[in-house]
Order: sequence, then C-alpha cells, then structure tokens
Amino acid sequence: MTALTFALPSPRLVGADLLKLRKRRGLVAVVSLLTIGAVTLTYAIMELLHVSDPAKHGPAGGIEKLGHGTFLIAALGSVAAALVGSSAGAGDLDTGVYRDLVVTGRSRVSLYLSRIPAGLGFLLPFVAAAYALAAVAATVFAAALPQPGVRLMALGGLWALLEVTFYFLLSLAIACLVGSRSYTIGIVLAFRLALTPLLAAVSPLGVVRELVPGVALQDLQPAGFGDSLREGPHVGMSVAAIAAVLVVWTILALLAGGFRDTTRDV
Amino acid sequence: MEEGEIVPAPEAARRRDGFACRMHTTSAHALETSGLTKRFGDRTAVRDVDLRVPRGAAFGYLGPNGAGKTTLIRMLLGLTPATSGSMRLLGLPVPERRAEALARVGAIVEAPCFHGHLTGRENLRVVAAARGREAVARIDGALEQVGLSARADDRVATYSLGMRQRLGIARCLLADPELLILDEPMNGLDPAGIQEFRGFVRSFVEQGRTIVLSSHLLDEVEKTCDHVAIVDRGSVVAQGSIAELRGDGGHVVLVEVDEPARARSLLAAHPAVARALDHGSAITVELRDGVAAVPDLNRRLVEAGIAVLRLEPQQASLEQRFLEITTRLENAA
Repeated sequence: MTALTFALPSPRLVGADLLKLRKRRGLVAVVSLLTIGAVTLTYAIMELLHVSDPAKHGPAGGIEKLGHGTFLIAALGSVAAALVGSSAGAGDLDTGVYRDLVVTGRSRVSLYLSRIPAGLGFLLPFVAAAYALAAVAATVFAAALPQPGVRLMALGGLWALLEVTFYFLLSLAIACLVGSRSYTIGIVLAFRLALTPLLAAVSPLGVVRELVPGVALQDLQPAGFGDSLREGPHVGMSVAAIAAVLVVWTILALLAGGFRDTTRDV
Repeated sequence: MEEGEIVPAPEAARRRDGFACRMHTTSAHALETSGLTKRFGDRTAVRDVDLRVPRGAAFGYLGPNGAGKTTLIRMLLGLTPATSGSMRLLGLPVPERRAEALARVGAIVEAPCFHGHLTGRENLRVVAAARGREAVARIDGALEQVGLSARADDRVATYSLGMRQRLGIARCLLADPELLILDEPMNGLDPAGIQEFRGFVRSFVEQGRTIVLSSHLLDEVEKTCDHVAIVDRGSVVAQGSIAELRGDGGHVVLVEVDEPARARSLLAAHPAVARALDHGSAITVELRDGVAAVPDLNRRLVEAGIAVLRLEPQQASLEQRFLEITTRLENAA
C-alpha cells in the first residue's frame, strides 16, 4: 500500500508537468492552430463560400459538416497529441532534467505517471474547445439543413476526445521508450497518417485489420454522421472488440514506456 | 542509537546565517562504499572502491578524465546500478533505502541541466514538486542564498553558465541537504566563478553539511576540500586528509648555504639523509625518518663553518603527490 501510494503522482507533481507544457510557447501556438485555429478557419471558409455562392456551396452547418469538422479535429488533434505526448514523455530526458528529478529520490513510476494527467490536462481543453466551436458552428450555420442533436454532438465530441487521448498515450509511451521527441513525432505521424489508412485499405488482411487501433477507432465513430468521418473501408468490429484492441494497445504501450523510463540509466 | 536512525536536529549543527543544516541521521560517515564496482561489458569503470567520507567536511574525489568519477556518483545516486559492492548514504543502505537517503541529498551530476523555457524559479518549482511541500517553501531562500533572487523570474535560456551553476546549487538546497554531491562543478567557470563556487562550498561546510566534489582539477580540490581520494582507472589509489596526502611536515628539506658543494657532501654522509641533491645555491635533502634530524644537520653544517642561509621543510603539493602516485602505478603496470 505504501509503495503504491508513493508511486502515485501528487497533484503538485502533475502541476509541475503541466507547467512545463503550458510554458512552451511554440507548443501552445501549434496546438492552438491544429485544433481551435483549424476549426475556426474551416468553418469561416465554408460559411464565406456559402454566402458568396449559396447555389454552389451549401451551408457551413448541419450534421454532415459537423461530421467533417469532427474528422478534422480527430485528424489534426492526433497530430497535436503526438506533439504534446512526445514533449511530455521525452521533455525531461531531452533537456537532461530527468536525472535531477530522479536524484530527488522520488519514485520513477510516480514521475512517469504524473505526465499522463498533465499532458491530457494540457491537450484536451484545446480539443474540447475546438469541438465546441464546431458544434456551435454546425448549429448556427445550419440554415435549412437538419441541426445535430445534443446526443450526436456529445458522441462526436467523445469520439474525437477518445481518438486524441489514444494517440497522446501512444506518443507518451513511445517518447519514454525511445527518449526522443523528434523520433516519436515521426513514428506516431507515420503510424496514424500513413500506415493506418494503408492497412485499413488492404482487404486481404481481413480481420487482422481489427488489430490496428486506427481501424478500431474508425469503427467506433458515431453512426449519426454517416460516412463523413470515414477514412477507409468499413471493417465491422463489435464494440467489445474495439474496446479490447484500444485497451490492449494502450496498456502494452504504457507498460513498455514505463518500464524503459523507470529502468534506464540516466 | 542505531546507525541511520532518524533523530531530531542537534542544535550544535545550527550555525551562521540561519542556514545551518539539520541533521536527520546519525552515522560517522556521510558516505561509505565497500567494494563498489561497475562494469560496462568487459570494461571496468569503477573497481572495488572503498570510500569513507567524514561528516561535515568537503571531500574531493580527484582523478583524471575517464577515471570513473561520474560513474561512481551515478551509482551513489541510483542513476545506474552497481555491478557489485555496497553503498551507504547518510548511514542508509542504497539502493534499499534510496528514497529516504536521497531526500537529504542534493546533487549536480555533470553540467546542471534546466528547462530553458522556464524561469529559474519555475525550474526550482519543478524539482520542489518532486521533493515535497517543505522544498517548495525553501525556493525563495535558496535563490537568495545563491544570489539569484533578482534574476529568478527570467528564463533560464538567458542565464550564463555561472548563473546556471548557482541555480543548480539552489536546486540542491531545496532538500536542505546533509550531503551535497557535485560532479565537476567548476568545469567551464571563469576564475571569478570558481572563487565564488569555492566560497559556496566552504560556507556549506560551515553550516554542517558534507560536500563530495569530484574533479580533475588538483589545485581546486586542494584549495576547496579537507579530505581527498585519488582515483586512477576506476580504483581509489590514495585516501585521507589533504594534509596527510600532501605529506605535511614531510621528509624533504630545502637547504641554502654559502658553500653548496661542500655542504652536499657533508649532508649526504649523514645517516638520516637518503639523498642530497645540489641545485646550485640550494640543496634538496630527502630524509629517511621525518624531520627530527634537521637540528642535527644544522649543527653539523655550522660546526663545519658553512653559513646556513635557509633551512626549510618542504610541503609537497597535492599535485606532486598525485603525480608521484599515478607515475608509480604506471611504472608498476
């Protein structure tokens, strides 16, 4: 019990990890741009196109456009997740401060775990704000199109948050494993943006594709958005299988990252 | 009282400026190692090291680059495991009671590292968060003690090396350490910075803290430390107080006379003299059994009608001793 309590990160430790992230001006700017900025720009352009030529361009709001907005947030949000996860995971190692934290005698498990709530506490408000903007725009600019219901909006938001959270945890674990921010960003982006759509499109792989977390996440998207979120063909997984794939990936990644982080020579 | 037991702070440890170190553990030595060894594959970086660092002193771990100084420190701090041997920090066995021991240890390993995008104060907050509530309360005092209060809210990226070194010390002070372990702390500092650093070390010793300082700078260790261990190729080859290692009151006497040639012959014939070397106007006399024979040498010179201008026991520098020891080892190898 004592060992477990000692391993749990204190709120002060989480606060310190959050401080390191929110004081990175470049990171704040890029994450803002990839989430709130991207949504604002997208809806502004769609509405301007609609206003300039209503016959050619439909309204910026409505269910389908919210689906597009949610897809955008999930895709760019996972890029932001890679940036934040890599900074949270490898920031102390990159700067050499990790050694000074270890010599305080604080449990390395505690130092590792504190990065998770800190990183999510930094990243998710941006994603949530971006989605809130998209939801408001989908309602306000719907014109004659059907407006998304509260349930669909909530499901879409939770789905986007889940995808971003998953890629954050994956990035954090990989960063702790490889000890480098730049390598982590490269690995996660290649996996998310290139490998996942490629694997999802290879139909001979059949059920094996269900093991790819991106495919599982895609199958979890809210049905109310139709195919507006879809990047590749529908594989068709049960919710239990989706949950199992995501949980196993997350746990294995975090265990591997944690093991490396707590046993590495520094 | 059992060694390593936690006890209330003795008032005797409270000294100047209200920055006295509070002793939480009892042990004759602040740091002890026995047979400590670290191997990287076939290469032995630290070989069978036995150290005894007395409390309340500045202890120099002196050796050339690549002698295994940093590896030893990294083992002590739990940054890398030892291959074999045992360690005790402040009387507590490490790694078994590492967290407890390190709670009262401050350390700078190699160069002090910080988050450049955070201010000095924020960097201390980060480490204080890992140490606990008491450490947070010490931030302002630590910044003041190292003279960084005025720049505490500037980003560390704008700090000079000397300021970073001082911030590194402030970070150590967050633990109110009984033991400070500093790895090559004077590397890259200018003469003013070195002098300032030496002042810090001495003031910490006055406060009752123990300092372990690794360095390849003989002169600095000699000026800063009370005790020293000389390390060569991973092994401790000599250990003791600076005075002991220098051989103070040692066996060499410098003699200046008006007739050097005659004096040298006379001194060389004396049974207490191992060797007498003529250097022109002066003669270096190596004695077999200390300086007890010096009055007799003087008397014989005077009786022979030789005018003695100077008769002075020589204090060997640590550098001389270091070179003697390492050269002897090289010859033996």
